[in-house]
Amino acid sequence: MKISPDKLVEDNQNKEIPFYFNGKLLKAKQGQTIAAALMANGICKFGVSRKLQQPRGLFCANGRCCSCFVSVNGLDHVLSCMTQVEAGANISSNEGDPNVRREVNEN
Amino acid sequence: MKTDLFIIGGGPAGLHAASVAATYGIETMIVDESFSLGGQLRQQTQQLRNLPKSFKTQTGTALAKQMIEKLRQLDVTKLVKHTMIGTYQDGRIGVTDGHRTIPISANKIIVATGAAEEACAFPGWTLPGVMTVGAAQILLNREYVRPGKNALILGSNNFALQVAKQLAEGGVNVKGIIENKERMEGNETETIDQLQKIGVPLYFNSTIQRAFGREKVEKVILNHGHKALEMDVDLICIGKGLSPILEPFEILDCHFTYEQALGGWLPVYSLSMQTSNPSVYVAGNAAGITDMGAILLTAEIAAVSIAESLECVNNADADKTRKLLWQELEQIESESFKRTFQARANVVKRFQEETDLSQVNGQ
Amino acid sequence: MDESTIICKCEEINLAEIESAIQSGAHTFDDIKRITRCGMGPCQAKICSSLVREIISQSLEVSLSEIGLPRMRMPLKPTRIAALAGKETSSSVVSVFAESAPKEGDES
Repeated sequence: MKISPDKLVEDNQNKEIPFYFNGKLLKAKQGQTIAAALMANGICKFGVSRKLQQPRGLFCANGRCCSCFVSVNGLDHVLSCMTQVEAGANISSNEGDPNVRREVNEN
Repeated sequence: MKTDLFIIGGGPAGLHAASVAATYGIETMIVDESFSLGGQLRQQTQQLRNLPKSFKTQTGTALAKQMIEKLRQLDVTKLVKHTMIGTYQDGRIGVTDGHRTIPISANKIIVATGAAEEACAFPGWTLPGVMTVGAAQILLNREYVRPGKNALILGSNNFALQVAKQLAEGGVNVKGIIENKERMEGNETETIDQLQKIGVPLYFNSTIQRAFGREKVEKVILNHGHKALEMDVDLICIGKGLSPILEPFEILDCHFTYEQALGGWLPVYSLSMQTSNPSVYVAGNAAGITDMGAILLTAEIAAVSIAESLECVNNADADKTRKLLWQELEQIESESFKRTFQARANVVKRFQEETDLSQVNGQ
Repeated sequence: MDESTIICKCEEINLAEIESAIQSGAHTFDDIKRITRCGMGPCQAKICSSLVREIISQSLEVSLSEIGLPRMRMPLKPTRIAALAGKETSSSVVSVFAESAPKEGDES
């Protein structure tokens, strides 16, 4: 998916770093946002909507629309378009709202 | 934290305002929610037209580098990955880095939040693979990732055409540009010529009937005149124009007005780019959607006016500089879209009317 | 667009729901928001604001300049409670939650 360097303003010679998406080992370029790293690996669906569980992905890429939420190292609702991927990061798709009141509801 | 001038937004307007203000000796702090400064300039690989006289013709990415380098030599505090989320009751601004919220006291504020892209609703627009043209440009030029293989561009304004061209040059198969009117909205002949040369088809009087796909967009049906056209695409880029980003203005009690030619709602402001809240100024696309030249000039007007109010420059000199900047602004804006400058003049007139009215009421 | 087209992407409010709110007398974004939850999701109307105002403008045949913006509230962007509460207070927020959560062996 990389573009030939003559089309770029500067070569992306940044080193490759590993990260995980839903448990699968993938590679990103250092400095890339999580959203870009996922798309470079052919992943467009980052999660599902909160009510109808419809697929969601990158939309505005500017931290406004919140369509691109993912979970990073256990932290839910991280904007993948505004967050740079870190080596070894454990990223998982956003599966709607976390059930924060689970224990209360179950009682 | 305390500062004389606090600038919200580290794009072209914020960066230029910061460097002009710091050159006048004003203690300046600039904040941006992204991980680096430059804003939308970071993916603008095209040559920027109509820049002010003090800038040489260059690409957006080069301009961002130049302005960031200039700030490095000046005494400006830069906060990246910090987002303005509100104000405290005592007027301090609340900025968060995601872990804590930091109160900032500032004498003057410039809101340079820029513009947001408009969405367009059609069945299937929420599918992954449907994104704004700006998002596609970020992926391609800043992140070095092709956003898709087969693309359709919805909208034909200059920005949409520019991104269509960049996507095609970057190896994306641009299958068409869809315009619901009977002619092109954009007027940059160079880009239009290049798109024709590449062979990108234009579909006038056309809309998207529906986009389909299971996990992401796979197919689209167009209403093209009286016919329905089916296309296999994995990328739909919405280019329906821009509107000013306004959230901070509401929290800072600035009055709004409406000018369609400037992108809809925006704060009212004076010839000094001062809003109805005397400590809050506006610069760049937040003051109305325009060209890069005008973005930089409005930032300079705001910075000079703040220097004047903080007594870093005398009134006569500030007035002279401001007049020259407004002349250049009128010239640059009238060259591209005449209506833009006329709308801006209306905004300034409305500010004046409001001020007059409040003086009458105050007596 | 058809009746089932989603307008608010966060709360998944469709065109029919917005039109029916307008028929019930809604004529501002905030009216529609109160009736349908449109614009109350994580993006806080940043994406649907213009779409909804356009629908109001067409349905009621009023100019867009007559339809005000949604009320924009703090925090302006999604913010974690710990970041709002500060480091020390965040532990007390945690302890408040801990208190309200049922303790082991509780029967309720």
